[in-house]
Parts: sequence; C-alpha cells; structure tokens
Amino acid sequence: MRSPAVAIAWEFRQRHRWGLIAVAGYLLVVATIRFLIVEPGEPVLVGSLRFAAVVSVPLTTTFVYLLAVFSFGFAGDLAARQSIYPARMFTLPVTTAALAGWPMLYGTAATAVLWLAARLFAVWPSGTEIPVIWPALLAATLLAWTQALTWMPYGLPGLRVIVAVLCLAALDTVVLLAIHYKAPERLMVAILAPQIPLAYLAARYAVARARRGDVPDWRGIFARVGNIADVLTRRRDHFPSPARAQVWFEWRRHGRSLLALVGLLLPFELALLWLAKDAPAFVFEILFLVLITPPFMAAFTGWTGSKPHPNVSDSYGVPPFSATRPLTSAALIGAKLKMAMWSTLAAWGLVFVTTPLALAWSGTWLVLMERAQRMNAAIGTPRAVAFVLLILAGFIVSTWKQLVQSLHIGLTGREWLIKGSVLLTLTFLILLGPIVEWIIDSPSVQRALWDALPWILAMLVGVKMSAAAWIATRLYRSRLLGDRALVAGAACWCVAVLALYGVLVWFFSTPFVARYVLALVAILAIPLARLSAAPLALAWNRHR
Amino acid sequence: MSEPVVHVSELTRRFGATTALAAVTLSLPRGAVYGLVGANGAGKTTLIKHLLGLLRAESGSVRVFGLDPVADPVGVLSRIGYLSEENDLPDWMRVDELMRYSRAFYPAWDDAYAEELRQAFALDPTAKIKNLSKGQKARVGLLIALAHRPELLVLDEPSSGLDPIVRRDILGAIIRTIAHEGRTVLFSSHLLGEVEQVADHVTMISHGSIVLSGPLDEIKESHRADGRVPSLDEIFVAHVGTAADA
Repeated sequence: MRSPAVAIAWEFRQRHRWGLIAVAGYLLVVATIRFLIVEPGEPVLVGSLRFAAVVSVPLTTTFVYLLAVFSFGFAGDLAARQSIYPARMFTLPVTTAALAGWPMLYGTAATAVLWLAARLFAVWPSGTEIPVIWPALLAATLLAWTQALTWMPYGLPGLRVIVAVLCLAALDTVVLLAIHYKAPERLMVAILAPQIPLAYLAARYAVARARRGDVPDWRGIFARVGNIADVLTRRRDHFPSPARAQVWFEWRRHGRSLLALVGLLLPFELALLWLAKDAPAFVFEILFLVLITPPFMAAFTGWTGSKPHPNVSDSYGVPPFSATRPLTSAALIGAKLKMAMWSTLAAWGLVFVTTPLALAWSGTWLVLMERAQRMNAAIGTPRAVAFVLLILAGFIVSTWKQLVQSLHIGLTGREWLIKGSVLLTLTFLILLGPIVEWIIDSPSVQRALWDALPWILAMLVGVKMSAAAWIATRLYRSRLLGDRALVAGAACWCVAVLALYGVLVWFFSTPFVARYVLALVAILAIPLARLSAAPLALAWNRHR
Repeated sequence: MSEPVVHVSELTRRFGATTALAAVTLSLPRGAVYGLVGANGAGKTTLIKHLLGLLRAESGSVRVFGLDPVADPVGVLSRIGYLSEENDLPDWMRVDELMRYSRAFYPAWDDAYAEELRQAFALDPTAKIKNLSKGQKARVGLLIALAHRPELLVLDEPSSGLDPIVRRDILGAIIRTIAHEGRTVLFSSHLLGEVEQVADHVTMISHGSIVLSGPLDEIKESHRADGRVPSLDEIFVAHVGTAADA
C-alpha cells in the first residue's frame, strides 16, 4: 500500500466494511427482485407505498449513512468547535489537498454510484420520467458540502450543526424550486456541477485551518453572560442531600443549554411582530414559531446528553467520576428528570415574559385580543380558556418530553445504538416531508388513514404497553426500583392519562370522534415506556 | 480474624476473544496497603473496575465490605475513596464547588481534613479545574478521595499525574496515615519502585491471572538468592517475563 490515496480508501473500506457490504447486498437484492421476480420491462410505480418501503426508505437511509461515513461523522463530535476531520491524519506526510480531495472523491463517487445503481436496478423503466444525471450530481454535491462544512473549525460549540443545516437546506430549497418550476436537466446540471469544485476549495481551506490548529474562539463574546450565569448558579452553601447535589450537577452541565438556545432565537422571532402589524395571519404564524421553539430546541439539546466524553477511554460510557457517585442508577436518572423540568420551566418562563411584552410594544396585542374574543364567543369562556391552557401545557410537556425521551438511548453508552438511532431519526426527518406531501396530495390515502386510525392507535398502544410491561419486569427483577416506586409511578401515570382523557372528552364532545380514540390518544400522549427504560439503560452502561 | 474488605472469587472477564481476568481469586484483609502490579493490559484496571461495580462479574463473585458492588452501589461506593487513572473530574467546576458537591455524597466527609488537604496541596479554591495543571488535577482527585476518610482507598495508577518530587512524599504519607488508622489501601501501578516503597502486600497480575500474591517482605525473602534480597523489579521480571512492558 504505497499510495496515500489507496491507504485512505482502504481505511474507509476496512472501517465500514459491514455497512458497505450491507449496501451492496441491498442493491443486489433489489436488482434480483427487479430483473428476475418482477416482470422485466414492467414500469415501476414510483408513488406506490411498496416502492417507498422497498426503495425510497432504504435508499435515503443509505445516503445518510454515506454522508456520515465520508464526512468522518462517526468518529467526531459534531457539536465541538474543532474540525471533525480526524486529527491523527494531520500528521501524515500528505498534502492538505490530498487529505481533503481523496475522501471527497470517494464520497461523491459513492453517492453518485448509489443513485445510478438505484436508478438502473429499482426505477427503470418507470411510469414517470425520472432524470438520470442531475440527481446523481445533487447527491454528490450534498455530500461534498457536508464534508466541507463539517470539517471546518467553528468559533462556537454547536455552530457547525446550525451552519450545516442552514446551508444544506438552502441548497435543497434551490433544487426543490427548480423541480417545482420544471427546470430542464441542463439547467440543473449547470446549477449543481460547479458546486463540487467550490465545496472542494472550502473543504481544503477547512482542513488546512484544522491542520495548523487554527480554531477560532468566539466564546469570549459570551463570556460575560457565562460569568453572570456562573455567579447565579455558583454553590456557596452545603447541599442538603446527595440527590440535590446531583440535580445541581446536572443543571450546571446540561440545564442551561435550552434556556440559552431559546434566548438566542426569541429576539429574532419576536422582532418579526413589528413587521406583522398589518398582517394578522402573520402574527399567529410568528406566535406558532415562538411556541414550537422550546420543544424544537429541546429535541436538539436532548441529544447532547449522548455526547461522547473525549477525555475518557470509553468515550460513550459513563465517566468514572459519575459512575462512582454513591447514588443508585434510579437516583441519577431522577436528577436528570428534575434538571429537565427546571430547564423546561426556565425556557418557558422566558417565553412567557418576553412574548406578551413584544406583543404589547409591537402593537399586535389587539390582534390577539380580537381573535380571543371571537373564540370566546364561538365556544364559550371555559372551553376557550381550557383550549389555550391545553395547548400551552401540551407545548410545555412536549419540551420536557423532548429533553428526556432520548435518555434511554443516550445512556446505554453503546456507540452503535446511539449512532444508529441518530441515523434512523435523520432518515425519518428527511422522509417526513415527502410522506406528508404524499398524504396531502392523495385523498384516497387520507381516507384509508382515517379509517385505519383506531387500528393504528390501538397497535401503537399495544406496542407501548407491551414494552412498558417488559421494562417494569426488568426494573423489578434487577431491583433498580423498589416495589413502592414502581407502584407509585404506575399510579401517577394512570392519573395523568385519566386526567388528559377527561379534558379531551370534555373538549371534543363530538360524535365524529369516538371516546375510545380519545382514550388511546391519552395513553399514547403520556410518556411511559421510554422514560422507564432510562434507569435500565444507565445500569447497563454503568455496570458493564 | 475480621471479614476481608475485598473478596474476589473465581472472577473471569472476557472482552471479545481477549480474556482480561481468568479465574482471579483475591482476598484483602483490613488495615494494610496492597500494591497491585502488572504490565500494561495485565488486568489491573479491569479488576479495580469490578470492585467499584463498573464492570459486572461474568462468572465468579465480587464482594466489597461483604456487599455486591453492582447490586448495592450506594452501600459500597460511599465507603470507598477512588482516584481514577483517567483524569475525568468535571472541568467546569471550581475546586470549592467540587468539594461541596462531593461532600453531599459522603456522610463521613471531614471539612477540617478537606481544608487541611487543600492547603497542603496548595490548591486555590476559586480555580476552575480546567485551568489546573495535570499534577494539580491529580491532587484535587486525591483530596476528594481522601476527605471522607474512606474505609477502602482505591488508587488506579495514581502517580501518572504527580511530579516525581512530591509524589513520593504525598503518596507515602497519605497511604501510611490511612493504613495506621486501620483503613485499607489498594493501589495499582506498573512503577514497581513506588510500590516497593509503600506497599505491605503485593499482588502480581499477568495476562489476567494472579501469578504471585503475599506480604512484600515474605515475597522478597522467598526470592533471596546467594544471600541477596532481589528488588521487586527483578522478582517481577522473573515471574512475568522479560517481554512484559513494565
């Protein structure tokens, strides 16, 4: 192995051989089905559910997997300021152009080949006209820019994710607009082809900066805010109990992230109210944006608990300092749940203080009042108040749920489980848009979904309750939770479900929605299985 | 004779195809300093992790103070002081915050002793841990491990963070003090000279098996040759082999 190009290719192949074999195997199976089982020459129905299950979903997952492989996303910390390009490679006697170029060449080639193979094996001939060249170029371009943006060092932790999402979304939007306006293939190629050399130049610049240790540090700008936060939460007296000490520990480690993120976004969102004085509908869109900000940001910060610890040998495991706290795993989880509660309340406190002020100062308060009066007149004061409170409570609980619902994955400390889960989530998010669009465009699908809704809900409830029963049995057998704690937890959950069911029945007293559907919704809405699995996950990680 | 502080019986642990511990049996009575020596990768840290409950016994049993450290982490860990070879103290905390935080977990925490140690180690209470040197971080870890006067002090490669001038005095003094109080110290190292200075008992581990265990004086005496008492280094090489990375 005398060439750096071969060595770099060998590393990709060797490290990800099982994943790459799985991809090749999948394409082989699809080709076999297509050419031997399905009648040759029969057009493929691209919009069918079977096509989505056999081709679209696995293909999207594979594409996301390739993005992670060729960006070194499995090895690096996306939220860190430092480049995720492996630092060990910077000392190789290879030019920076080669370090950036070879992984980009292999990655762009792999994604382009993936599309071409899928086009040949799975969607040829198709009932509709599907282009050949530009989707391959789009896949290669997305990969090249992902590499450039993730290899770049950033001045703030987490900035990489925001910049990458914004840039890739902008590129996606251009392409979607071009598709919408039926741009010819030549135009699409003209838009996409120059992107790859541009991305290469950006990647080379990023690797060069990372290689000479040039990592900007903009944290000083926020140092004053950090110092104030430090002074406010600095502990000068003794903790009354180990549990309180642990909650403080969790708050200082993770609790302030949500507040900071919401605090960063809110001013920009609320400033839009000054532009919306003459457009009442826009006011409600802005308020919706404000309300979804905490749960959306919570989903992002919830995953930071799964971040690897770079200073310890088993970077995804519980660090020895935390693992040797004389606390039970259940108590450690309890501290995390309490921290999530305080974090949620702090973020929503900020929303509840700033939003009315912004509405009043921008003069859009009257728009809100006018809509409230109309609602009051239409459904009556108690229902209107209940409706607003239910919506707000839903958002608040959803924020807390987003913070804690991935604990059962993150706390396992198993890298394959954490990364696999991230991969699945990303795939789901990528597919969500097309699926929703497909449902909206297809009345027959909507009817079928509506008819099957009780069955779907019943099936989900069945899965949830089976999982909860299994988890409760494991918790009991492993003595992670005492009998009283298990019974008290189950009782609290039942009370919450009944309360929500009561509110739903009172509010949706209509013959169009059966009460058992409301009961199923209430059972699904209150967290149970994933939350109860968190102590098991931590114990599995803490006592390996 | 009182119940041993640590009792390990037929403990076996595998990581894939590698056997990290092979049917290890070990008993540590109260009130002595035990040196656990072995080459890198011999299984020292794996054994210590079992004592702390960080690893679950695949086969065999582990008892510390007569308790299973996995089933009863609070009962075991509240009586142990542990200094990890991995410098993983929360670097965002200040020294005084770490002392207050740690105090909450240990009923036997001694404020006066903690302050005495802080001054002896010349640690600034307002300093953030991330701004401390490697040696200072090791001292903070040692302070936290000692200040609740643990019944069992477990030090996993403690010398790695301390400079050579002070590590001999500090470690020696602390380990002796604890041993005199009837407490037990288990410390692992591959620096045999250091072990020889402070340990009463030595257990040698190689490729996951205990090859030699007993009081240091007896071990040395039993290896006397031509009237000369060999050093622990020489005994180690004789038992573990010249290829060992000691």
